[in-house]
Amino acid sequence: MTRAFLSALRGLSALLLAALILVTVTDVVGRYILNAPLPGAFELTQILLALLVFAALPLTTARREHVEVDLMAHVLTPRLIRAFGIFAALVTAAALAFFAVRLGIVAGDQAATGARSAALGLPMAAIAGVGVASCAVSAAIALAGARNP
Amino acid sequence: EELVLSSWLPPRHPIVVNAIEPWADEVEKVTDGRVTVRVLRKPLGSPAAHFDMARDGVADITYGLHSFTEDDRFKGAELGQFSFLGDDAAANSGAFWSVYRDKLGAEQEHAGTKLLGLFMHGPGLLHNNKMEITQVSDLQGMKIRVPGGYAADLMAGLGATPLFMSSPEVYEKLSRGVIDGVAFTYEALTAFRLTDDIKYSMTVPGGIYNTTWFLVMNQGKWDGISAEDQAAIEAISGEAFAARVGKAWNDADAAAEAEIEKAGILLYPAPAPVEEAIRMQASKLEAAWADTLDDDRDGLAALATFREMTGAAAE
Amino acid sequence: MTASLIAFALLLGLAFLRVPIAFAMALTGAAGFAMLRGPDAAGAMVGQAVFETGLSYSLSVVPLFIFMGNVLAASGIAHGLFSGADRLFGRFRGGLAMATVLSCGGFSAVCGSSLATAATMSKVAMPSMRRFGYHDSLSTGAIAAGGTLGILIPPSVILIIYGILTESDIGKLFVAGLLPGVLGIALYLIAVLVAVRMNPKLAPPVSETVPMSRRDTMGVLGTLGLFAFIMAGIYGGFFTPIEAAGMGAGASLLIAFGMGEMTLAALGRAFADTASATAMIFAIIIGAEIFGNFVSFAGLPDAIADLVYDLDINPWLVMLAIVAIYLALGTVFESLSMILLTVPVFYPVVEYLQFASPILRDPEHVVIWFAIIVVVATEISLITPPVGMNVFVLRSVVRDVQLGTIFRGVFWFWVADILRIALIVGVPSLSLWLVG
Ligand code: NA
Ligand code: NA
Repeated sequence: MTRAFLSALRGLSALLLAALILVTVTDVVGRYILNAPLPGAFELTQILLALLVFAALPLTTARREHVEVDLMAHVLTPRLIRAFGIFAALVTAAALAFFAVRLGIVAGDQAATGARSAALGLPMAAIAGVGVASCAVSAAIALAGARNP
Repeated sequence: EELVLSSWLPPRHPIVVNAIEPWADEVEKVTDGRVTVRVLRKPLGSPAAHFDMARDGVADITYGLHSFTEDDRFKGAELGQFSFLGDDAAANSGAFWSVYRDKLGAEQEHAGTKLLGLFMHGPGLLHNNKMEITQVSDLQGMKIRVPGGYAADLMAGLGATPLFMSSPEVYEKLSRGVIDGVAFTYEALTAFRLTDDIKYSMTVPGGIYNTTWFLVMNQGKWDGISAEDQAAIEAISGEAFAARVGKAWNDADAAAEAEIEKAGILLYPAPAPVEEAIRMQASKLEAAWADTLDDDRDGLAALATFREMTGAAAE
Repeated sequence: MTASLIAFALLLGLAFLRVPIAFAMALTGAAGFAMLRGPDAAGAMVGQAVFETGLSYSLSVVPLFIFMGNVLAASGIAHGLFSGADRLFGRFRGGLAMATVLSCGGFSAVCGSSLATAATMSKVAMPSMRRFGYHDSLSTGAIAAGGTLGILIPPSVILIIYGILTESDIGKLFVAGLLPGVLGIALYLIAVLVAVRMNPKLAPPVSETVPMSRRDTMGVLGTLGLFAFIMAGIYGGFFTPIEAAGMGAGASLLIAFGMGEMTLAALGRAFADTASATAMIFAIIIGAEIFGNFVSFAGLPDAIADLVYDLDINPWLVMLAIVAIYLALGTVFESLSMILLTVPVFYPVVEYLQFASPILRDPEHVVIWFAIIVVVATEISLITPPVGMNVFVLRSVVRDVQLGTIFRGVFWFWVADILRIALIVGVPSLSLWLVG
């Protein structure tokens, strides 16, 4: 279940990244060969990037690739290292949950004011909503990681 | 009481140096030092976030453009974004402060904040490096960077292709031929180093577009200031601030215009048929905008009042 | 200022308790901001930072350049670079280590990250050096140090982030990194010679050179071609640095499949690794943004600027003090967070320093020169104990080598780095000559 979900996210991230490359290449090549830059390339890049970050955040968290300083690892007893690991996982989960809550408020705000992107008219609330889901899932993953620090 | 002002323009921008900072200093003077304003060297968020930042108390005082984000909040502010509004930033800003508040509910639209100022910059021009525009068809397919909103709709209506990008990017995109032109003020043309890339700058009386700005303060912070100090701050804000910031824009535009002439850019008024086409397109968009406003707000009447106040109606 | 220093201490404390640096910065920053402005304002600030960072157009170069590096790492060009460099140096004692340094420099020209450069080169260079009886300390030291060039020789993710933080021209920053990068390679080559002269047991007398295959030659040509494509594209005015990243990413796929070693599985890994690294980097950027907002609210940048200007301190002394601070912070801080936390504090001070040297009259030049100083200081931090990220990366690839061995092997390279930063600070035209 979790594994299937993460591999779906991996596929989605790859798709978003490929789209990001494609947008730039189409824009540049279109401009020189067809004298027609891709309209809205600027905004598409912004939005694809935001979606890529949010799609990948649970992956990074699951792979435990957030940069940490393991300075004390050589000095401490295994039990202490374990205790620190649990503490760090809980703090990480709390931070991500906090992000999710605050992004939820941003999403509500964006929906209320009808904020949309300037060129393509895409609803900004939807992007914030994706962020809420991403941070919430990542928080859950970090929390689950506390059992196995 | 120390208030913190988050400023996103470059520290040496004429508006920061000649309007925001002097105003901040004056707040301290008129309140006998009971209220001071600290202007941060680095903003606490993106330019687009600055209204929310004041509302949410992230900073106490912020300024910004109404058109930074496309949403339904500052519908009335579009009053100050149309063509043919006036060539004097001080007069424009004064009229904007007055008409937007009296007729289009500025205070309501800035709910959650204390509205300290509303202002506009100098008239917008249409710059390009392709040709002197003598007829509307010259604009066909021309790729123009626009600030968004009205200017985009106007350009599209005239047959040009509006493109969006951040201002600092204009220089690169113009020199690489990604865009042919840009809707900018005199000041922005020089501030973003475009004098070598632009060859033709077309004016229309009262500007081809404009942008509108706010200066706001967190409501809670405002309520915490004594009535006496509130009155003192109000006296140097609002209309007085509009005059101050308008003069700052005018001075910056005048300096830029001299530089533009020195650079050998052809600065010319739009020929009659082009101006006529812009007027037709503009009135269509003005009417469409007026339709989106609440029934008790008469946008077209507000525009007429605005133009009378700035003297643009006579032109 | 006191509040900022307490927050820095707390941040370090959390980091030592193994809280990822991104979240340590976010939480300390949010807590500090809440103390000054109340919890609601702090929450709003956090929401904004999380929402807006991903939408930043200029940051799109980060995943694009990382992807380019990851694809090329899987393409086999690194092997070609190593073989090519070996042809040049194979005759000397320590020649393979010198080839490692040079090929690290070559890979840096198409990879924006020091960690990726070290990881990639370790897979190619380490087995060869072991086969010929090189001591592990010299082999790993050369890779760890050579890998640091990744962020100096363009393209560079760190220079891009610096450019965004200071609103300077990324193209000019890239050019500024070229000569110092070449100087870095030269000094590292000398460091290898010194190391084997001091302790001949580190390397066998002469190792036979491995002939280059056709694919190796293609790798060298591909690297040179891609580097030229990107730099000429930027300087010839064909595309912006941001577009260069996208075009480079596209071109790297062509090269990788052209080399014939790329598999679909490897491509999938390149995508997944890039996505994960992107979220990791953005989490750090978000955390640094939150922490930075607190620090800027608490008035640290203003306090430091006022201090420098009120006391009218000699600008060279200020520069030396800042370099010293970077070297000290570099012992424990991770590179990206170090840049994100310190550049906003220091560059407003540096920008207006009045140097007598004519080349530093222009504040834009000072900011570019400072970029190179900061990046070289960051490179040093990557190999300085106790926390040297490049050393850690190497350790995770070559699991049977002790950390201490790698840090010992890095010593002469570290000396070369200190010499290099002294030259770069003392001779600003090294960074600015090509910028014009
Ligand atoms: Na590089
Ligand atoms: Na270090």
